Amino acid sequence: MDLTAFENRIAHGGRLTAADALQLYRHAPTYWLGRMADEVRRRKHPENLVTYIIDRNVNYTNVCVARCNFCAFYREVGHSDGYVLGFEEIFRKIEETRELGGVQLLLQGGHNPDLPIAWYEDLFRAVKQQFPDFKLHALSPPEVIHLSRMSKLSVPEVIDRLIAAGLDSIPGGGAEILVDRVRKLLNCYHKATADEWLDVMRHAHRKGLRTTATMMYGTVETDEERLEHMLRLRDLQDETGGFTAFITWSFQPAHTELGAAHNIIEASGIEYLRTLAIARLVLDNFDNLQASWVTQGGKVGQLSLAFGANDMGSVMIEENVVRAAGAAYCMDEVEIVRNVEDAGFVAKRRNMHYDILGDPFFRAHEVKRTHALSTARDAGDNSVPAELVNYQARSAAGKKQRARPISPVS
Amino acid sequence: MNINLAIAERARAGEALTVAEIDELGSSDILSLGMLADEVRRARVGESVTFTRVLEITGASGASGASGASGASGAEMRISKLPASLEDTEGLIAEGRMLAGPQLLTGFSLADIADRHWGKLVDILTRLKSAGLDAIVEAPVDRLHDAEDALKACEAADLPVRCLSLQSPINIDGRSSWLIHLRDLVMKFPKIDTVNPLSREQPVQMPTTGYEDVRAVALARLVLPSVKTIQVDWAQYGPKLAQVALTFGANDLDRVSTVDDESLGKRRTSVEDVKRNIAAAGFTPVERAAS
Ligand code: SF4
Repeated sequence: MDLTAFENRIAHGGRLTAADALQLYRHAPTYWLGRMADEVRRRKHPENLVTYIIDRNVNYTNVCVARCNFCAFYREVGHSDGYVLGFEEIFRKIEETRELGGVQLLLQGGHNPDLPIAWYEDLFRAVKQQFPDFKLHALSPPEVIHLSRMSKLSVPEVIDRLIAAGLDSIPGGGAEILVDRVRKLLNCYHKATADEWLDVMRHAHRKGLRTTATMMYGTVETDEERLEHMLRLRDLQDETGGFTAFITWSFQPAHTELGAAHNIIEASGIEYLRTLAIARLVLDNFDNLQASWVTQGGKVGQLSLAFGANDMGSVMIEENVVRAAGAAYCMDEVEIVRNVEDAGFVAKRRNMHYDILGDPFFRAHEVKRTHALSTARDAGDNSVPAELVNYQARSAAGKKQRARPISPVS
Repeated sequence: MNINLAIAERARAGEALTVAEIDELGSSDILSLGMLADEVRRARVGESVTFTRVLEITGASGASGASGASGASGAEMRISKLPASLEDTEGLIAEGRMLAGPQLLTGFSLADIADRHWGKLVDILTRLKSAGLDAIVEAPVDRLHDAEDALKACEAADLPVRCLSLQSPINIDGRSSWLIHLRDLVMKFPKIDTVNPLSREQPVQMPTTGYEDVRAVALARLVLPSVKTIQVDWAQYGPKLAQVALTFGANDLDRVSTVDDESLGKRRTSVEDVKRNIAAAGFTPVERAAS
């Protein structure tokens, strides 16, 4: 393998083909990949900044009919642990987030058949009414498709209605690996095929929304399929330019059907750094790559900054999905900033569009340190939000529940 | 590469670096430093990574995880916690000796023993050896009032110390002199061939960062040419950081659990996990003999 030729090509902004990328991903020394990824990152971000966002990852419901076999988070319809957050609970979470300097909710959840599009519209409107500046980075493409199927509206119509209600941007969740062979094996083909996922993003970009893109690797896919995923994202980015960032993480196998059935072990730290680095080289039209410290831990999360990442992602505050699959890393803003500065960068807060919002919030405000992420709900809290009676349920369990007097959210 | 090439050359040749040189090396960019440490490590100790399976012994009931002791055959038996009295310690060692049979029985931090002031250190160590202890697990050099004296006592008692270690994170200003102190000690005690440069304590408010950890590993490899083994604690630092540390100059993983839950499949056992991580980092796993 002629690494010098690749070095020259990358230095001059040349593109990697699928075959090039595969060769490098499989055979280039890890340090070489890191150095090249670092070089590209420095070229794109010469100002030596590393950014992060203060937001809260709220999962409004864990009830889901999609049943992806890699997911430890969802509960079936009618399950006693199934929940839907009430509007008031979500408002409280927003208030707490604002106190920590937060600027948006990352709002995602299960495909709950008992939440019609009106519930989302009412929630978004209510949030915007109470917190006009607060941003809603909400509903990954499969959730949009779920709403489209439930409401019998086209995807562009669903997006229009959500934008009208207050949607600001769309998170890139649910991409897993954008190859249908893999999606079928992960039991997530029916929630969104690769084309459907990309199509939601295409429509969103055309309507002026910015979105992120993700990749969950380490399940049943091949190296070629990881790279195909990246190349499909690169193609769409060439077409629309609507992605703000790429985030990759390794499958967290604990407590998942897939992990048990296929005896899958989580991909290693070095595999993560190599995957991140090759993504920086392949995704030459993406400005921002996030470090996934939530899955890799703070230490390897920080080392991501030497392997192509320029962003530490979210301060998080709350996390439910990865925790359900066994990982429970936590870094508050102080810790994120310390890690960024220790790596030799200047830490800046940003919004979803990667506009710089300022210096670390805690340096100018009294902020309580946190060493554990919150959860959607306290254990044992099975309350049902009062407003749910206003929305028609589709499932038998949902209809039965709404026919009963509701135990209100405290 | 952002690294001083002249200093790098001296490190490659195993020459004694000065404080200023170590400081400069430590401020190189992390990838350049890692590449150099990896190169030096491959030249000095090759491409293998050793690991030690350890069965921890905690007290009266014997081994912790005794239920999983099926995987303990060939593992090192280790007593981590020092009892309150010398007599209890001797009792625990005797119990451990019975369990260990011909396998290696190690225990304790030399600093913990010294801190108890049970008597003259050499006498205490002699009693521990007589009770059946094969070696002291570690000497946390920063915690020992006089590390050289304490190591001499071990020599006099014929009780080897497995590794020189660090109790608390060291700040950047003290890093180079600490490494030179370590270098002096290993020159004086050449039988000690293992250094664990990552601190035993991780303050909750401010744990060490990934950069700090891998930099410490790389510098230890570059500054201590006579030390064969740069060790990382697998159980404490976890598979991700420990694996990355292997590419920054470490060549040994300590404290791999003997408790293998094979009900989850062979690939999920600790030993398989550690071997897979070593191989995925590009090295050859070799289990250390514990007898
Ligand atoms: S990943 Fe999302 S869509 Fe799939 S089962 Fe889990 S909650 Fe449902």
